[in-house]
Amino acid sequence: MWRFLANERYVVPFLLSVVSTAVVTAILLTIRDELQIATIALLYLLPVGASAAVWGLWPGVTAAVAAFFSMNFFFISPYGTLMVHQSQDLVALIVFLGLSITISQLVGRITLNLARARARESEAIRLYELSLTLSKLGREEDILNSLARHTLETFQADQVQIFTASEPQPTLVQLPVNPGALLPASPTALVSLQGSQRLLGEIRLWRLNKPLELLEDRLLRTFASQGVLALERARLTAAESRAHILEESDRMKSSLLSSVSHELRTPLATIKASVTSLRSEDVPLDAEASADLLAAIEEETDHLNQLVGNLLNMSRIEAGALRLKRRWNVLAEIAAAAAGRRRLSSQGQRIELDIPEELPLVYVDDVLMEQVFNNLLSNSQKYSPASGIIQVKARQQGEGTIWVQVNNQGPAVPAADLDKIFDKFHRVTTADQITGTGLGLSICKGLVEAHQGCIWAENLEQGFAIRFTLPIHAGGETPRIPSQ
Amino acid sequence: MTNQPHILVIDDEHQILRALRTILTARQFRISTASTGEEGLALAAASQPDAIILDLSLPDMDGVTVCRRLREWTQVPIVVLSVRDSEQDKVQALDAGADDYLTKPFGIDELLARIRVALRHAASQSQVDKKTIVTAGPIHIDLARHIVLRAGEEVKLTATEFKLLAYLAANAGRVLTHQSILSHVWDPADADHVEYLRVFVRQLRKKLEDDPEQPRYLLNEAGIGYRFLSDD
Repeated sequence: MWRFLANERYVVPFLLSVVSTAVVTAILLTIRDELQIATIALLYLLPVGASAAVWGLWPGVTAAVAAFFSMNFFFISPYGTLMVHQSQDLVALIVFLGLSITISQLVGRITLNLARARARESEAIRLYELSLTLSKLGREEDILNSLARHTLETFQADQVQIFTASEPQPTLVQLPVNPGALLPASPTALVSLQGSQRLLGEIRLWRLNKPLELLEDRLLRTFASQGVLALERARLTAAESRAHILEESDRMKSSLLSSVSHELRTPLATIKASVTSLRSEDVPLDAEASADLLAAIEEETDHLNQLVGNLLNMSRIEAGALRLKRRWNVLAEIAAAAAGRRRLSSQGQRIELDIPEELPLVYVDDVLMEQVFNNLLSNSQKYSPASGIIQVKARQQGEGTIWVQVNNQGPAVPAADLDKIFDKFHRVTTADQITGTGLGLSICKGLVEAHQGCIWAENLEQGFAIRFTLPIHAGGETPRIPSQ
Repeated sequence: MTNQPHILVIDDEHQILRALRTILTARQFRISTASTGEEGLALAAASQPDAIILDLSLPDMDGVTVCRRLREWTQVPIVVLSVRDSEQDKVQALDAGADDYLTKPFGIDELLARIRVALRHAASQSQVDKKTIVTAGPIHIDLARHIVLRAGEEVKLTATEFKLLAYLAANAGRVLTHQSILSHVWDPADADHVEYLRVFVRQLRKKLEDDPEQPRYLLNEAGIGYRFLSDD
């Protein structure tokens, strides 16, 4: 109670209503003789009405009581006493008191209703803003942050914490991040975030200067339920998209499996046929035929080996398990190694390298980059004419990028398919003589992108090119080479 | 005792053991086989082979561990076998003392070449007077007198270039890891600076190779190191 009185917010209106009555009294005293008691009573209604309108019911009543005594003391004879001689004065006084209290009650109630309506309106606006904001957010983290910010602003709190028992570990969002004052251990208000299936978490709110009013408490609970709705929606969406990805990856896997089993069986068929005929004693083979079969076996085992390597790389890229072992490398050396390997299985095409010597060292994984060149060249060998030329060109582009092009004299690819050729199992032609899993280019894309580069395809005036860029430094410090 | 070299093959795949036994026996080697690491270590101690072929993925222990335990008591040449995409394992095995590596699947010529180099290197290590002249095509390297000739003409090399070439040539035929070359030619503190090697090998190739883009003698082993191919 004393604390209540000591709080100036509550005492000041009462004082002011008394003061306003006193001011009216002082003014009326100067013209006391020219006024009738009815006029005085009417004029005294002014501070009563004003006090009730501005400060509410009880300051209005206070003004009414003060006016009642002032009128009695100063304006009803005998002046200076609270005594009343004439009965009509007594009636006037009692009527005045009753009337002024009624007025202050009416005015006060209107004021209160107005204030409540305003509060409800602002509550509705706050709630609308919150639900509008939350409905636009999809990520759980954003939802929690936004809920915390709205709660902090709406309740003018010192600290808001939202704790959620989310997977994989519980999270705590707090605003402001560094609370100015030292907070008491228990929050001013605590509301749980009760989901439809289980408890999701809770909102903790600290407000040091005053406790939450009933209306505010109700608003906080509404905030919490809005938060729960948004969180559950976000989780549902995430679960749905996970399910979709799983479904997609299942579909990819079965498509991979059918493609792979076909691709694995083709070389195995050659090997099996060659070996059985070499072992067969029915028809003796001449030396040339034997050599032919043996060469076929060797080629097909290499083919199988390459296939398995590609599959392994693909699954690493897909699983995000690719670990780059970046070192400073000479791009020409990597390209030359791949070209050397591809020349062994060339069907007559020439591979030309055009990589300037002054090209700086690049910070890449040499084993994986060799795989990129190998796949691009192998792809070119498949699609370009037998006596065609395959070129590998590299240039520095600006400060920090290297631009590489592998082009051949193969047929143009329809513009609509230029992006699709990097998709898994995509083949531009359905020609039977083209072998492979359709993984080569998508592995290139995966590897180049793992190096923070870009890869794309273009039709040239004569032929077809795949181009890619690589950052030179990619986070590595520029190497310093000792001169001796 | 015969003077046929004795080779111990440690691999858990019986088909590979069967094939290698047939092929190597036909090439006048004596063969023992082991299918686990423990068995291999015991057999190595009991039979003192001239060379060991060791698969890196064994059922009971890591191939790198087998390498390390062998190196505690013997300098017998070790050639490790490993699948592709495991450069890290190969480098670890080489740094743990293996002499060379071979990626599965391999051609038998490659395997024989590795075994020959490993046996020759082991023999030269035990001799008092080591070979000081290395030839590779037109390249003639005199390790003792610090002279390098190409097609009969002297090639001027800087001190570091010569040190690098000499280290590679002294180990001709064997793969040397980046780390081993860097610590030997520069300093153990520089063992991670592969960029030094890239630059200096490029300079050496320009001075020595016919076509520096298609080197025939100073070979790169992606992700692992370098190998110098000599004539014999």
